[in-house]
Amino acid sequence: MIIFDFPRKLLGSFFAPLRSWLGICVLIFLFSILIFDGMINDWGRASQGLGNLVIFFTESLWPPDWSVLEPQAYPVCTVYPTFMDFTCSTAWIGMVETLKIAFVSTVFGAIISIPLSLLASRNLGFRKKISEFFDLLLLPVDSLLSDFLSEVLSYLPRLFLAAFRSLPSIIWAIFFVILVGFGPLAGVLAMTVYTVGYLGKLQYEAIEGMTKTPLDACEAMGLTKFEVAFKVVIPECANDLISQAIFMFEYNFRHGTVIGIVGAGGIGYYINLYLKFLQYDKVIAYLIIIFIVVLIIDFISIKARSYFTDEIGLNRPSWKSIFIPFSMNKR
Amino acid sequence: MGGDSIEEIPWKIEPIIRLNDVSIGYKKEEPLVQIPNLEIFPGEIVAIAGPSGVGKSTLLKTIAGLIRPISGSVEVCGKSFPNRPNRGELGYIPQSLGLVRHASVLHNVMLGANAGHNNPIPFIGICLPSFVAKKKSIEAINSMGLEEKISEPIRRLSGGQQRRVATARTLAQCPELILADEFLSELDEKTVDMVLKEVTTYVKSNNSALLVVEHDIKRAKMMADRLLVIDDGRVNPFITEPTAMEVKI
Repeated sequence: MIIFDFPRKLLGSFFAPLRSWLGICVLIFLFSILIFDGMINDWGRASQGLGNLVIFFTESLWPPDWSVLEPQAYPVCTVYPTFMDFTCSTAWIGMVETLKIAFVSTVFGAIISIPLSLLASRNLGFRKKISEFFDLLLLPVDSLLSDFLSEVLSYLPRLFLAAFRSLPSIIWAIFFVILVGFGPLAGVLAMTVYTVGYLGKLQYEAIEGMTKTPLDACEAMGLTKFEVAFKVVIPECANDLISQAIFMFEYNFRHGTVIGIVGAGGIGYYINLYLKFLQYDKVIAYLIIIFIVVLIIDFISIKARSYFTDEIGLNRPSWKSIFIPFSMNKR
Repeated sequence: MGGDSIEEIPWKIEPIIRLNDVSIGYKKEEPLVQIPNLEIFPGEIVAIAGPSGVGKSTLLKTIAGLIRPISGSVEVCGKSFPNRPNRGELGYIPQSLGLVRHASVLHNVMLGANAGHNNPIPFIGICLPSFVAKKKSIEAINSMGLEEKISEPIRRLSGGQQRRVATARTLAQCPELILADEFLSELDEKTVDMVLKEVTTYVKSNNSALLVVEHDIKRAKMMADRLLVIDDGRVNPFITEPTAMEVKI
């Protein structure tokens, strides 16, 4: 007996570390390295990459060409006073157009996605309504069947949301450019559709994560689903919903630069233009401007969410808090 | 201030809660509590006591219509499950209160007041602003001594203050039946007396009923007309002890 137990004990002690979460993470990491190695034929190319980056950075990218902030021959600059003439530059015009596209599509997307996410959330969904409906009809429906039907019904809005986000925003942009032609309209439509799919998923996950007791109390009181949704669920999840909407605005802004490449308007049009002419120093100037705007959006997000939390320090966000983690920021 | 005992109530009065051969729990195979017969009449304050995990809160949830009974009939405010009592007839204070943490005290109490005093527009389900509901809410908040916290978000209140908000929400609703799950815990003695006085006055003057879960058997005896003890065990665990103790106010 002892002899037979020995190999099992040996194996057990060998695999014991793998039973922990850390062991599983290490195993997954090693597995991914193995797959990655299988995809790469020539590791030598990777070693050349750093050299290429240095050459590309010093000879093409740096220093940035800030002439993108100067007014161009077209459109004709009619701004007064003259120090405001940067508003005639391609960077400003493109940036403002991208921000407009991102803002409008985020607002439209959020308005459409909130009802869909409320319908898709299983904790507010039709489950109870359906079982009550069958009970009222006096049909001997097993609770398992009504559970199954409620699952199916709550999947319909999920299906829509999944369909909207299954295509990346650039494909939606190409699609809408074909439908309505070049320009910001195609951009707004593409970003709105993508926002509905993406934001809707984030929202229903936040709603499903909320505590059940406010819903129970309101259900017992006899409040309607509409009242529960707008007076309980949305205020309770406000922190998450605001952060997700601002994240989506930031995402739309960053992707607004990409969809411009396919002619859907915004700063992407100019980036694409300078990429074609290999003027990378102008491209890096645009990228720095985008980076700064993303930081500003992040600051707005922290500020907006601070109204919904009492965590010390978050009520007074500073520029420092964008760059430095909270724990380090305190010192 | 003790309530009318069950014998004094005329037999014609319909009970607010009527349970018949009810078996409750989360799994069909493992019922937590089996109740052969229970009736609670208007004007009665009934306390449920018993060790933790025995199924007191589950019983309250079943009566609130949040959990389907395993078997038997549950009739609340004249409607038997799965039909629900009319809007606003049932007030429920869960153990974890069920308040909207990011909203103000007034917003939370208005939820109850709207349920009791405001009818939603058919099909849309939304209520128009109502001065009656707002007045009732402010009255309820004042009666709980929270007038200074009226626009404060719930998350900034202490545990005891939150319990008072949940009680105010139910009082503003003016329900026929109040189900309260340990709504007096975390409160100091003075506040317990104040809250209890408000609630009992409401129940007695409006001929409502209060079914309260209370783990402190001494306090349960103090506040209730009848005490139901759920003993450990699954078959007929109900022991009824008529107490009609005087409520200290």
